[in-house]
Amino acid sequence: MQIRPLISSLQDFYLLSYHGFLGIFRRPFYWKDTLEQMDYAGAGSFFIMALVSLFVGMALSLQLAAELAVLGLKMYIGKVVGITIIREVGPVVAALVFTGRVGAGMASEIGSMMIGNQVDSLRVFGVDPIKKLVTPRLVASLVMLPALTIMGDAISLIGAWYIAAFVSNQSSYVYWSTVRGVLDFQNVFSGAVKPFMFGYLIASISCYMGFTTRGGSTGLRTSTTNAVVMSIIMIIISDFVLTRILLYVLGYKT
Amino acid sequence: MIVFDRVTFGYNAKPILNELSFQVDPGEKIAILGGSGEGKTTILKLIVGLIRPDSGRILIEGEDITHKTEEELNDVRRKFSIVFQAGALFDSLTVKENVAFCLREYTKMTEDEIDAKVRELLRLVDLEPAIHLMPAELSGGMHRRVAIARSLAVHKPIMMLYDEATAGLDPVNSDNICNLIVELSSFGMGHMMVTHKVVDALKVADRFLFLEGGTVVFDGGADELLASSHPHIRTFVDELRYQPKVSGKR
Repeated sequence: MQIRPLISSLQDFYLLSYHGFLGIFRRPFYWKDTLEQMDYAGAGSFFIMALVSLFVGMALSLQLAAELAVLGLKMYIGKVVGITIIREVGPVVAALVFTGRVGAGMASEIGSMMIGNQVDSLRVFGVDPIKKLVTPRLVASLVMLPALTIMGDAISLIGAWYIAAFVSNQSSYVYWSTVRGVLDFQNVFSGAVKPFMFGYLIASISCYMGFTTRGGSTGLRTSTTNAVVMSIIMIIISDFVLTRILLYVLGYKT
Repeated sequence: MIVFDRVTFGYNAKPILNELSFQVDPGEKIAILGGSGEGKTTILKLIVGLIRPDSGRILIEGEDITHKTEEELNDVRRKFSIVFQAGALFDSLTVKENVAFCLREYTKMTEDEIDAKVRELLRLVDLEPAIHLMPAELSGGMHRRVAIARSLAVHKPIMMLYDEATAGLDPVNSDNICNLIVELSSFGMGHMMVTHKVVDALKVADRFLFLEGGTVVFDGGADELLASSHPHIRTFVDELRYQPKVSGKR
């Protein structure tokens, strides 16, 4: 890998994400584009997010029930599932689903605009493409991914409850009281911070990859694939870094 | 008005333009001819500052635009309208919204005023009935005509730039586009059309540049072009032999 192109790409990525973010506070505001992106990213992703979250919650509950039964601790399913979903699995699963559906869409849409000279048209008309294309997508991701994560967490917990109550024959009351017990500030804060970071990364990376699209359909395929792969890698790495920081900040001993 | 002074440009170390120099005067009707990859479209992009030369200077109305910032270039871009190959319409917007794009960005016109202006522009390109269609529902020729209407929405440019405006079109649609280009030039705008189709170039232009190896190998009028003995120009011109009739101006 050549160092100079890599540094140049990192610089371009930084500038794009920085200007895209600053665009939130600077005129002109593209409200219509932002609302359209929020609808596409949020309402459009809800069903798939709900489906995935439901089955992740159910699978997690099954796995934990099997292990906890050996130790005679099945009554802790709610506590363990709750912490796992709220702090770790929920935000990461939501971000991965969001990447696959929304991030890939952002990269391919901007990519095809690059190929079709539509981005050049914007520049010729005196419209800042970053303000017009990146900022609305960034705002949509920053708002909708946390919202989807919260809904996904709730649906995962319901899925886990179904398994705990009807397959593992645990008391629903015990399950929901232990879940309620883990809904303290530290756990909720841990789970709430991550989606903002993931949303920012997904939108920035996907838009950047879209803008780097060159050539025809092969170029579009490459940039879309790169957007998804890079977003997933960055989600996993940043999840680890954030977890480490949050545990330290919130005073957990590891 | 447009001066290219020893302009050199390349993509990823692959040279495209090599110390290219030429000058275009106001109101000129010029066609840039040449094979694929000779840098014809690159010239248009350099004029409106979408890309910057590796070396050399580009002067627009005496002003060097080579080192201008993106914001400063907006003033230069307002002097031109560029119609990209295939039109570059915004896929997610209707024909009306495409044409109204700049009106909404830069004016405070009411919805009724925008509608009237859009219809006027679409009448000019003979496409008013298509006002509510999406770009995916338009033919190639209609795409170009909507793009021309859109480019005229806010300001009257001093020069229209056409990037392969007739590429991929059947002869009837090509002829329609050429006629439209000639009609628009009667409003006092010059134009520069990039094309590899000599037959279309002859219809719209009275000065011709032929690019080869990143530089101009021919600069002259229609008669000189047709009489040129340059082997590559002859290859292009010989295509006319297979045209049953070449209408339009020479």
